[in-house]
Amino acid sequence: MYSEDKFKKFVTKNPHPHKTFFNRPHWTRRQFFEVLGSGVTASYLATQARADESGTATQAVTTINKAKNCIFILLTGAPSHTDTFDLKVVNGVTPANFKASAINGLQWPTGLLPNLAAQLPNVAIVRSMRAWALVHSLAQTWTQIGRNPAAALGNIAPNIGSVVAIEKDSQRLPGQVFPTFLALNSPSGVGPGYFPATYAPFRINNPSGTGVPDTTNTLGQTRFDTMYSRLQQLDGTLRSSAPYGQELSDYDAFYKAAKGLTYNPTVTSAFSYLAADSMRYGGSAFGNACLIAKQTLAANQGTRFVQISFGSWDMHQDIYGQQNAKGNNLYTMGAPFDTGLAALLADLKASGQLDQTLVVVAGEFGRTVGALSAAGGRDHYVQQSILFAGAGIKGGRALGATNSDGADTTDFGWSRQRYVRPEDVEATIYSAMGIDWTTVRHDDPFGRGFEYVPFSGSDLYGPINELWT
Amino acid sequence: MKKTTVSRNELQGPVRRKSPVAGLFAAGVGALVLAGGLFGIARSDDQQLTVSHPECVFFLPKGSRNPTNNTTPDGAEQFGLSNVTEQVARLLSAAPEDTAAAAGLPSVPGGSRTGSLQSPASNTIDKYIFQAISDAGVTPAPATTDFEFIRRATLDLTGRIPTVDRINSFVGDSSSDKRSKLVDELIAKPEWLDKWVAFFADLYQNNSRNTQIPRYIQGVTAFNTYIRTSLETNKPYDQLAREMIGAQGSNSYTQGELNFIVGGVVTGGPVQDVWDQQTVNTVDTFLGISHLNCLLCHNGRGHLDALSLWGAQTSRTQAWGMASFLARTQTRNTPTAGAVNGNPYYWSLEDNVRYKTDYPLNTTTGNRPPRQPVGTQTTVAPAYIFTGEVPKPGEDQRAAFGRIMTADFQFARATVNYMWEYFFGIGLVNPSNQFDPLRLDPDNPPSGCATGAPCTLQPSNPRLLNALAQDFINSKYDLKALMRVIVNSRSYQLSSRYNGTWNPQWQNLYARKFVRRLWAEEIHDAIVQSSNVVPTYTNAAWGPVSWAMQLPEPSNTPGGTITAFLDAFLRGNRDDQPRRSDGSISQGLSLMNDSFVMTRMRSNGPATSLLVKNLSLPDAQLVDTLFMNVLSRHPSSTEMSQALANLQTNRSQEAENLLWSLFNKVDFVFNY
Repeated sequence: MYSEDKFKKFVTKNPHPHKTFFNRPHWTRRQFFEVLGSGVTASYLATQARADESGTATQAVTTINKAKNCIFILLTGAPSHTDTFDLKVVNGVTPANFKASAINGLQWPTGLLPNLAAQLPNVAIVRSMRAWALVHSLAQTWTQIGRNPAAALGNIAPNIGSVVAIEKDSQRLPGQVFPTFLALNSPSGVGPGYFPATYAPFRINNPSGTGVPDTTNTLGQTRFDTMYSRLQQLDGTLRSSAPYGQELSDYDAFYKAAKGLTYNPTVTSAFSYLAADSMRYGGSAFGNACLIAKQTLAANQGTRFVQISFGSWDMHQDIYGQQNAKGNNLYTMGAPFDTGLAALLADLKASGQLDQTLVVVAGEFGRTVGALSAAGGRDHYVQQSILFAGAGIKGGRALGATNSDGADTTDFGWSRQRYVRPEDVEATIYSAMGIDWTTVRHDDPFGRGFEYVPFSGSDLYGPINELWT
Repeated sequence: MKKTTVSRNELQGPVRRKSPVAGLFAAGVGALVLAGGLFGIARSDDQQLTVSHPECVFFLPKGSRNPTNNTTPDGAEQFGLSNVTEQVARLLSAAPEDTAAAAGLPSVPGGSRTGSLQSPASNTIDKYIFQAISDAGVTPAPATTDFEFIRRATLDLTGRIPTVDRINSFVGDSSSDKRSKLVDELIAKPEWLDKWVAFFADLYQNNSRNTQIPRYIQGVTAFNTYIRTSLETNKPYDQLAREMIGAQGSNSYTQGELNFIVGGVVTGGPVQDVWDQQTVNTVDTFLGISHLNCLLCHNGRGHLDALSLWGAQTSRTQAWGMASFLARTQTRNTPTAGAVNGNPYYWSLEDNVRYKTDYPLNTTTGNRPPRQPVGTQTTVAPAYIFTGEVPKPGEDQRAAFGRIMTADFQFARATVNYMWEYFFGIGLVNPSNQFDPLRLDPDNPPSGCATGAPCTLQPSNPRLLNALAQDFINSKYDLKALMRVIVNSRSYQLSSRYNGTWNPQWQNLYARKFVRRLWAEEIHDAIVQSSNVVPTYTNAAWGPVSWAMQLPEPSNTPGGTITAFLDAFLRGNRDDQPRRSDGSISQGLSLMNDSFVMTRMRSNGPATSLLVKNLSLPDAQLVDTLFMNVLSRHPSSTEMSQALANLQTNRSQEAENLLWSLFNKVDFVFNY
């Protein structure tokens, strides 16, 4: 625990460069001379140019930059880590049909999650993660924005996916029609914060396999085209020779993009699937979302970040389904999760996409360990595990380890020698995608300065680089 | 009984619950936040001065306040509202008298724009606005036509578009006071209540669940009912504020006004965190001063220097004096009779029962930096931060807080500024919850400020703001009277079109009217009203309702696909997602293809629907009827001739095409 203590001491005693945001230099003296010492490189100039353009500043870090895309799976309700990713067999408690086995040294419930067992070579499990909060809504928001929702700018902070969208916007190619940030089955997910709606999650709930909702018209394509041309015609004179004001560029752009999605075969094919494929992914809403995620990324139409939410894992009662096998328990949730995620990883691997796609799977916290509660369930708890796959991470292993009952970390498993926090996961995603996680934007509504990862300028949080070593 | 807040410490082992009350955790009660380590304070000689980091304020642009009015992340749009108005105005047809119309561009048959305007001298707003416009040497936009005015005022006041009958009777009315009579009529309508319940529920963040705690739908409904009753009786706004700030009682499901203070509950820290947030919410909502939030973590000096003169010279100890008004308050929850695992529950607010002392300085953990004794002082007594005023002997502290706060001139100033922001698009002080009390007095402007400090008067028209606030006080805080003054003003009745070249720098002169993208609920209700295809939404907890403005809250209502339609227009969640007016791809898709629209433009719909009922009219009348019902105006000659030409073949289909086009036109989506 020494280093976690050190972390706390650092936070307490030496937490920040101690300049307020408005007079904090974009570059510290040290960094400036480091850069000078290594020569003014092209990347420095690029960083500087970008900083000037968009009013951002960074600490000029080196990113992993191996992930073109990211699929972020939020297991809402928080799964029991000691029944799944950090399996601890408790005598008389853990069901025998979990079939606990060691796969390359990884304890795994091969009975509960059999298909994922086969994908473990692609998966790295970080078992030293700890949540900050044990309230679902608070912790889920925390996980999606990578910061305390009750901290400064926390409640106008964008979703991690929106940060990816604004960062990757300039890489969009002409003709790409998909939104950069796609949110599947996440109707209550965090939005774009203070960013414009352009970078908001494009939400699709329970993708039905027949395309994107509202991209076809009940009257058919021909009629749609006619109606659209009638609309253009009505405004035509004004558009070409308006007496008042400038071109309606912003509003028009949204309509043109919407038109671009409508009756677009690329959209239809990426958001449709065969029944057989759907079955292979488990035929569940979660499985279908995984399938759509794979297809949209393969289509290369501009989508870079896909969030999928899947719950509820909030099993305070009857977690093993001993009273009601069909209730909300580890089997009824585990089966669609196992089938869907395993098929996703297998397909990404087979197509070569996995190498350029970071897959992150986590709940908002963990659950109590050891014996079950009186209600036969597990309650909220801070210790948790998180899964990573793809983008060149080294799979088939666990980083970090917990004690015998899974209540606390015994080995942090990474160089910072402390618990992994949601802020670190956020930094890991940004680094993997080539985004400087120390970026500070100065375009927030109050000019306060928005750090992509809080305190990252003082290196309080950072990527889990050990995933790649 | 479960306490609202649980003292928290980093746990050494798992949480184990003995009884089957596990669901309580799911409800967010008794929950733990373990972020304390992050918020440690650096011990120093002057403990409340130095903090571990400058993270401070929530800076939440809440309610209908739009964070993107003036800036966007790329920093390009310094004058966003002005620019959007320019873009929308481009697609508005001219009025007959305009130079553009004279040049042969399409114009809309207009109605009077002059005979019914109020004299500028009689209206506080006009006196200051036209003086400012004139001082700047700018020519203001022309006045609205009758058609433009009735649509604008009806939408702004009632959230609906006007009926065709009322448009015709209004335009045909030749009396000189017809605009003010219309305003009175609109303010008396039940739709006015629907709209302003929603407006204030946005402002007060009335939701069934925020990031920290649930109110449940029962609490939301009770709060809405309280707001509705208050508006219905035209309760003086200062009285409403005092009732909400001082509310005590046992059940938030039956006593709606409790729900405002309840919304400040913060989990995972000491009770001071709760008092702080409740104070912050109160001061933000009723005084428009969100920087108090910063000051409840640390002194302003070194943090707020560039943002607020007042904030920069105010200390955390002074802020504690403000929060101390809440320090006798216990916010507690009780499971309902039929609760399962403790859910659902209602809230109570009780003063002087559990907490009977001044604000104690005894915390080391939680969501804010530690509160430790200052010298020998271990508690902080209530003292109004701007004047030092204290409760009277025997007076309940929260009642005193409400009394002192509503007697503060800033209370009136902040309230009229919120109203101004809604009706004019951008506050006289903007953002409307960022008031700097030291930069408001035009007779005593800031001077000799430190380098980098804001040293200009903050309101774009300080004398107008003060005069409007004084009028509001003189009217005994009459919201309806305030709305009358605003909507009857010539300033409000300026056109959004501008003859000649507009300079975005004129935004703060209000020399033209800025457009407003309709709320999600308004778009829904305009489509329902104009198509006359009326849905019914219902739920175990509320309804049935047919109008989106009557939904209890914007989150997850009314269910089904219509939820996604409404969400596309960014109605927010009254918590971490404010209502906003951006455009988006989803909005285009929804208006073009969503079944909500498609079932309302068909010629084979219900017999009473707009299109079916009028399909047998002669072509020109049909076209005019569709325009009047949907866009509240006649078609321009160009629009008419195009529509008539199209109707010559496949008439029913072309009528559908026309109706569909009208729902998708820019001037349908905006209040201009």
